Amino acid sequence: MKMKRIGAILMAAAMAATVLAGCGSSSDEPAVENGSGSAAAPEAADGDVSITIFNSKMEIQDQMEAMAETYSKEKGVEVEVYYSNDTVAQHLATKYASNDPYTISMVDAKDIYSLAADHAVDLSDQEWVGNTTQAISIDGKVYGFPVCVEARGIIYNADAIKNITGKDFDPASVATLDDFKALIDELKAGGMETPVGVMKEDWSLAGHYLPQVYEEQDDTDAFIQGLHDGTVDLLSDPKFTALMDTFDVLKDNNYAKDSAISAEREVTEQKLAEGEIAFMFGGNWDWSVLNQYDYSENMGMMPVPENMDDGANEKLVGGGSKYFFIDNADSISDAQRQAAKDFLVWLADDPEGQAFVVNDCALVPAYTNNTLEVSDPLGKSVKAFADAGNLIGNYNYLPDDHYSVLGAAFQKYLAGETDRAGLAGEIQDYWKGVTLAEH
Amino acid sequence: MKRTTMKYKVSQFLMFAGPAAILFCAVVLIPFVYGFYLTFTSWDGIARSKPFVAFANYAAAFQDGDYWVALGRTAIYTVISVVLVNIVAFLLAYLVTSGVKGQNFFRAGFFIPNLIGGIVLGYVWKFVFNRAFVAIGSALSGGNVASPLSTTGGAMFCLILVTVWQYAGYMMLIYVAGFMSVSADLKEAALIDGATGWQAMKNVTIPLMRSSFVTCIFLSITRCFVIYDVNLSLTKGEPFNSSVMAAMHVYNQAFVYKNYGEGQAEALILFVICAVVGITQVMIGKRGEVEA
Repeated sequence: MKMKRIGAILMAAAMAATVLAGCGSSSDEPAVENGSGSAAAPEAADGDVSITIFNSKMEIQDQMEAMAETYSKEKGVEVEVYYSNDTVAQHLATKYASNDPYTISMVDAKDIYSLAADHAVDLSDQEWVGNTTQAISIDGKVYGFPVCVEARGIIYNADAIKNITGKDFDPASVATLDDFKALIDELKAGGMETPVGVMKEDWSLAGHYLPQVYEEQDDTDAFIQGLHDGTVDLLSDPKFTALMDTFDVLKDNNYAKDSAISAEREVTEQKLAEGEIAFMFGGNWDWSVLNQYDYSENMGMMPVPENMDDGANEKLVGGGSKYFFIDNADSISDAQRQAAKDFLVWLADDPEGQAFVVNDCALVPAYTNNTLEVSDPLGKSVKAFADAGNLIGNYNYLPDDHYSVLGAAFQKYLAGETDRAGLAGEIQDYWKGVTLAEH
Repeated sequence: MKRTTMKYKVSQFLMFAGPAAILFCAVVLIPFVYGFYLTFTSWDGIARSKPFVAFANYAAAFQDGDYWVALGRTAIYTVISVVLVNIVAFLLAYLVTSGVKGQNFFRAGFFIPNLIGGIVLGYVWKFVFNRAFVAIGSALSGGNVASPLSTTGGAMFCLILVTVWQYAGYMMLIYVAGFMSVSADLKEAALIDGATGWQAMKNVTIPLMRSSFVTCIFLSITRCFVIYDVNLSLTKGEPFNSSVMAAMHVYNQAFVYKNYGEGQAEALILFVICAVVGITQVMIGKRGEVEA
C-alpha cells in the first residue's frame, strides 16, 4: 500500500516535471537565435562587458554573427546578435514587456520616432554624426545611427536592352515618360513582348511607389496636411498625374498583365535578372533576390521616368535605412552603453567596420568617410546618386496602416478593378480619416 | 491518513491538477484578465505609459467598419466551411467504416492533412493554386488562366477548400468513433423490420450519433471563427484585403497599426461572439440527444 502511494507520488512528480520542462524549452525563434534564450546582457565570465544587438535585416544575419564572433575576440567585448521574424515594433515590445531589452537595436526610421523618447540614448556628441546626413534627430538630439542608404527607382537590365537595341543603354536618355515609352516600343518591336515587371506587394505599391507622390512635392508636410484637410485634389495634382501616367505604362507592359496580383516577386525578379524583362520598380534591397539567379552583369537603377521638368526624374528616392539606437533601460549598465557606442564608432570609422558594412554585407554606406567601392550594381547606382546629392528624402511619418489600406486600393487599380479617379478617391478618403503624426 | 480532511483534499488536488492549474492560470487566465484591462487603455503596444481611456476602444471597435466587414466575412466563411467539413467528414467516416478494402490506410491518409501545420499547408496550397492550377488550366484551355487567388471570390473559395481538406480528416475520426458506438444489433433489427439501408441510417444510426455531431460542429465552428494561420500563409488578406478574416484584422489592428487597446477590444468581441455561438449550439444539440 505504502509502496503504491510512493509510486503514485513519483509518477505525479515526473509528470509535473515534464509539463514544466515542456513549457521552459519552447522558444519563439529557435533557429535564428544565437546563444541562449535570454538576451539580458549577460556579463561575460572574465568580467568583460557584453552587449546584445538586435538585427532586423534578415539578409545580413549570417554576416552579423560572424562579425560578432571576431569582434568579441579582438575587442574583448562579448557581442551577441539576435534576429526575429516578427515586426520590429512587436518584437521590441515583447522585449520591453519582459524587461529584457537589447543594448543596441536595429529598427526602421519610423520606429526611432516612436521609440526614441522613451528608450533611446542621446548620441549627439558622437563623432560620426558629422560624417552623415542621414542620422535621425528629434528635438535637436541625435538618436538614430543610420546603418546604410537605400533608395528606390526603376531597376533596369542593360544587357537585355542592348541585346535588342544594339546600343549601350544610357539611363539618362529615358528620363521622360515619352522617351521611356519610345524605348519600350522599340523593345517590343525587337521581340521583348512585355519588357516590364510590376510587384503587386502592398509595401511596394503603397509603401514605395505611392509615397513618391508625397515625397516629390516641394513641401511634403504641407501636401499631407492638405490631403488631411481635404484641400488637395489628387486628380489635378501634376505629380500624381505624372507618376500615375508612368505607372500606367509599367502596368500595360507588365509580363503578368492578366494576373498582375498573383505575380510572385521571385518570379518577377528572376525574369529581370535573366533579362526576360528589362524594367521593374524596386530598390537596391532587391539585389539580395536578384543575385539568387543567373543575373546579368550590367544592371542598375534609374529614377522613375516622368513627363515633368522639376528635376525629380533625375533623382532616386531614398536615404538612410535601418537605424541603430542604444537603449537607456535600467537593466543595461553604463559600461555596456559605452561598449555599444564604441561598436557604432567602429562601424562608422574603423576600416574593418567600414569593410564589414560594404564588403561583407554589401550595403551602401551612409557615411562620407567610408569610401570603399560598393560591390553590387544596384548599390553602385545608389551610391552614385547619393554622392551627387541626387536623393529625394524618405517621408518617415506615414501612418502604420498606410501601406496596407492604400496597398489594397492600389492593387485594385493594378488589377483593373478601379480607375484612377477611384484610386484618388480612396487615397483622399484615407487621409481624411487618419491622425497625423506630430513631428 | 484520513481522506476527508481539507488538507488531504488540497494536497491531492495540488499533486494531480496543480501543475496544469498553474499553467492554465499563467497562460490563459492571467493574460485574459490583463488583456481585458488593456482594452481600457490607449496603449500602442510598446510605449511605457498606458493611458486609461475607459470605453473609447469599444466605441472605436464598434465604429471600425473594416472589422465588421471582416467579421461578416468570417461568419460566411464559417457557415460554408462548417457545413462542408461535416458533410465531407461524415461521408469519409461512412466510407472507412463500411468495410472497403484498405480502410485503415484511407483513415490514416485522410487524417494526415491535419498533422501538417496550418502555415505549411497554406504555402503548399498557394503553390498548387498559383503554379499547378495555372499551368494545368492554361495547358487545357490554351489561354492564360489566372490564379484563383487573384480574384476576391477565388481567394475565399481557396480558403474554404483548404479548410475542408484540413479539418475533414480530423472530424472524420470523431464520426468514425460515433459509427463504432452504434451497436450493430440495432441496425440489424431495423433492417429485419423492413427498413431500407437509408432509413436505418436516418432513423437509427444518425440519431444515436448525435453527440458526435454536436462535438464536430462545435469544434469546427470555433476553429473556423478564429482562423489565422492558413489565412496568413495562403492569402495574407489579398487580393485588396478582401480575404482578411476577423483574427487577422485583430492582429493587424493591435500589432501592425499599433492600436493595441482597440485590437484587444476587438479580440474580446470576437471571443464573446465565438463563445455565444458555440455554447448555444452545444445547448441546442444536447437537448435532443438520445441514449440507446
